[in-house]
Order: sequence, then structure tokens, then C-alpha cells
Amino acid sequence: MTEGRVIPDAASLPATRDAGLRRRPSAVGGAFRLRAALPRPWGAVIAVASSIAILALWEFVARLGLTTPLFFPAPSEILAAMGRMFSTQHLAWHAWVSTLRVWGAFLLAAVMAIPIGMAMSGFRPVGAALEPAIDFIRYLPVPALVPLSIIWFGVGEETKIFLLWLGTFFQLVLLVADDMRRVPNEYFETAYTIGASQAQALKDVAFRAMLPSLIDNLRITLGWCWTYLIIAEIVAADSGLGFVIWAARRYMKTPEVMAGVVLIGVIGLATDQLLRAIHRRAFRYL
Amino acid sequence: MATAPTPHLVFDGVTKRFGSVQVVEQPFDLEVARHEFVAFLGPSGCGKTTLMRMVGGLDQPSSGEIRLDGEPVGRPDRRRGMVFQSYSSFPWLTVGQNVAFGMKYRKDLSEQEKAVRAERYLDLVGLYEFSDSYPNQVSGGMRQRIAIARTLAAGADVLLMDEPFGALDALRREQLQAELRRIQRRDAKTVVFVTHDVEEALFLADRVVVFSKRPTRIVAEIDVKTRLGEERTLEMRDGDDFFALRREAIGVVRAAAGGEL
Repeated sequence: MTEGRVIPDAASLPATRDAGLRRRPSAVGGAFRLRAALPRPWGAVIAVASSIAILALWEFVARLGLTTPLFFPAPSEILAAMGRMFSTQHLAWHAWVSTLRVWGAFLLAAVMAIPIGMAMSGFRPVGAALEPAIDFIRYLPVPALVPLSIIWFGVGEETKIFLLWLGTFFQLVLLVADDMRRVPNEYFETAYTIGASQAQALKDVAFRAMLPSLIDNLRITLGWCWTYLIIAEIVAADSGLGFVIWAARRYMKTPEVMAGVVLIGVIGLATDQLLRAIHRRAFRYL
Repeated sequence: MATAPTPHLVFDGVTKRFGSVQVVEQPFDLEVARHEFVAFLGPSGCGKTTLMRMVGGLDQPSSGEIRLDGEPVGRPDRRRGMVFQSYSSFPWLTVGQNVAFGMKYRKDLSEQEKAVRAERYLDLVGLYEFSDSYPNQVSGGMRQRIAIARTLAAGADVLLMDEPFGALDALRREQLQAELRRIQRRDAKTVVFVTHDVEEALFLADRVVVFSKRPTRIVAEIDVKTRLGEERTLEMRDGDDFFALRREAIGVVRAAAGGEL
């Protein structure tokens, strides 16, 4: 074992060294030192391997007949169901409809939250005026507002967009205000002393300074949109992934229910990875 | 010297309070000549930074007036540039872009003139070859040079520096001090430099204004220019003259701090 080789080394180290750092770590042990770096390909390798392991275990358990297919179908069955749904049930179209709803509501929330959040943190009176209302609405559970939303907007697209917007705007606006609050005063003052107006300081300095954390918050908020989407589509819809899942449930087609859920997860994962990649490229200076 | 000092920057009975806190209680008077390098030396919380910020237009006097060339200073503008101790450069811009940012709002220069000027000031502070690096890829000392170059590129007549070298290690600090003094003489800038480091104040300034702890008051002015001359080199720092002056100054500062230093 490596232990045998390491001990003489450790003995020759000065006695003042911290005992915890004394033993030279082996490759595996070293990776579990608190906050130790992980060499480049290993993160991806571990992520893929663990995903495959979980799926394999699941498949194995299902095939052994340890679970009832009605409640817990095997991954292969879910995949087959998904294939069927793509070819006969217009699954791609439903996914597209859902994606449009999510992005529509998300962009609407973002376009409103960014200026309002910046104004709330930049101008004290605006913050004082809006914070109580926003904080109140933020804690209202979206599902509880479904009936109200239907009374207001009927059962069309407006209701769905409204519910998604409701779930994200009020959270996002406070996150934006926080991002803006963290912009150092020195940045503003530097801008002023080279002749910037308030508007220029906001646009060229504050917005730019908060952009990396803003994009991160948008990415997280986009994930929430998908959560609320299902609520909106289950209540009143004849299209979208939420509708597909809910319709499959009625006939106890568990593989199809799971296929719908899995597809949402896949779309979410892909979008998130894409946004992360863009983030890394756009903010190389971080 | 050939030119008699003309009052360039004037503090005329300036006081400042933030809410109920009197930062500068007694009316503060001071005249700074054109191209003079003045250091404000004093313990933390003595109001020296507030006085400097008011020159920059970042704070307004509660009473009294600050005048630059006879005109009361109002809102911040590019003629009075600031260099802060931290967050002095923008991390999302390259070194070159940071320096050019100083001219972003100048309409009197063409794009080409701006580019030429940016290069000139990058070169002046020795950052030319780091032009395409980002601030987090260069040392803390270089980041402060970015700020100095940006302020000069903006066209500031008065440099307002708030402990700009406070976060640097001793060796870098000495080197940057010598460089700042050289640039100030070459470009003939007026500088107000806030510090609590006696040696730094003496090495850089023509005149050191020593502040007492609150209430803000000038307890002494040290005419460094007469004692050491205008040229400052790193070798001087080890000389007997500098050493003697330093000892005197430390005595004055200790007395001002009332044993609280």
C-alpha cells in the first residue's frame, strides 16, 4: 500500500508541521481533502459514471421484478414510451409549446425585474415604496392563485404566462436589487469623476459590474419557471408537457408520466449547461 | 523656484456633518498651489478622507466652500480624478480598456486621439505590454497603476488619492511611490494624497498637513520641499536628511494623536 511508502517521508518532515497535512495524500485520498482541486476530465467522468450507475441500478431492480411496473417502470421502458410519444403523440410539439411558455414568461419577468430591481436598490424611495408589496406577494404560493388567475384571464395562454411570471418576477426583482447593492460604491464614484452621468454610471458600470451574478440569478429563475409550468398546464391546458403528463396519469400510463417528467429534466439540464457555458465564455475575467 | 505659488485649490471655512455626526467640526481652511503635492496625514477617522472627497464633489460641504481656480467645485467631473485603495479598476475591462475608459465621456477627442492617449498613459505607468490582460491577471500594484493612468487619461488636473497604496506590500509601495512622484512632476499635476503612513507622506509630498484626531484640525504643516527638494529617489529614503525629517515628523504625529496612535 501507499501507506508504507509514505510514512518514512512523514517522519522526516519538521515536527512543527500540522499533523493533518503531514501525510502525503494518495491520489484518491487527496481528492477528498476539503476543497481540494479536481483535475480537469475527472469531474465529467465522475458525473457520467454516477449517472450511469444509478440508471443501471434502477434498471436492474425493475427487471428483477422487485418493483411493480405500474408504479416504478424500468428506464428502458420509460425510454421506449418516450419514443412512442415522439412518433405518435406529438411530444416534440408539446415540449416546444412548453418551452415557449417558459421563455415568454421568463423574458417578461426579466425585462421587468432588471430595471425595477436596479431602481429599488439605486434609489431608496423606490425601494421603500416597492419592497413591502413585493415581499408580500413573493410569499404567496402560486398554486393558491390559480383560481384567481382563471377568473382574471380565463383558461388561455394569458393564465399560464401570468402564473409563471408571478412565480418568478417577485423573486427575481429582489435578487436583482441585491446584485445591484453589491456593486462597490467606488465603481460609481470612479465613473462620476471621469464625467459619467447617473444614467451612464448605471448603464456602463453598475449593470456591467452586476452582470455575472445577474446571469446566474436568471439561470436559477428559469429553472423555477419549469416548476410553475406544470402547475399551470395541469390546471388548464390542452397542450404542453404538463398536459401530457396529466393526461397519461388519467390512464395510469406510468411510463408516459415518467417520460414527460424526464423530458422536462433533460430540457432543464441542457438549458442550464448551455447558459453555464455562455457564462464561462462571456465572463472570462472572473 | 521660478513661479510663485498661486492658490489653485482653496478650502474656505469648510465643515461637514453626516446627519448628527460632525466629521469636520471647525471651519477648515487650506490653500494648495498649482502643481503642489499635498499629503493629508492623520489617524483614521480624522476627517481627511472626507475633505478630499469634497474636493472630488463626491460629498458636499455642510458650510463653507471649496474652490478650484476661483470656481466653487460642484458635481464630480473629470478635472478632479479619484484613485481609491480598492475596486480602483473595472474587472470586466482589460488593462487597456480600463485606461481608455477614462476618456469614455469626453467628446472633445476623436476615437483616434483617444487611442493614442490611452497608449501614451499605459506606457507612462509601464503597463503597455499588459494592455490586453484583465486586472485580476496583474498584481495589486499594477491595478493601482491602471487607476492612475485612467485618471491621467481622463485629463484630471487634480489627482485625489485615498490611501492608494495601502493594500500593497512594502517593496511595491516604495516603487510605486517613486513612480507617482516622477509622474506628478513630469505631468505637472496637483495631488491631494490621503495617508496615515508618515514615511509615505514625507517621501511623496511637497507639503504634509498633519491632522489631529477629531475635532478635525491641522496641528502641523511640514514643508518637505524646502527640506528635501523636489526630486525624490529611492536612495534618498536611506539618507540622513530623510531619516532626521522622519523622526521629527513622527514626534509631531504622536503629539497630534495624543498617545492614541
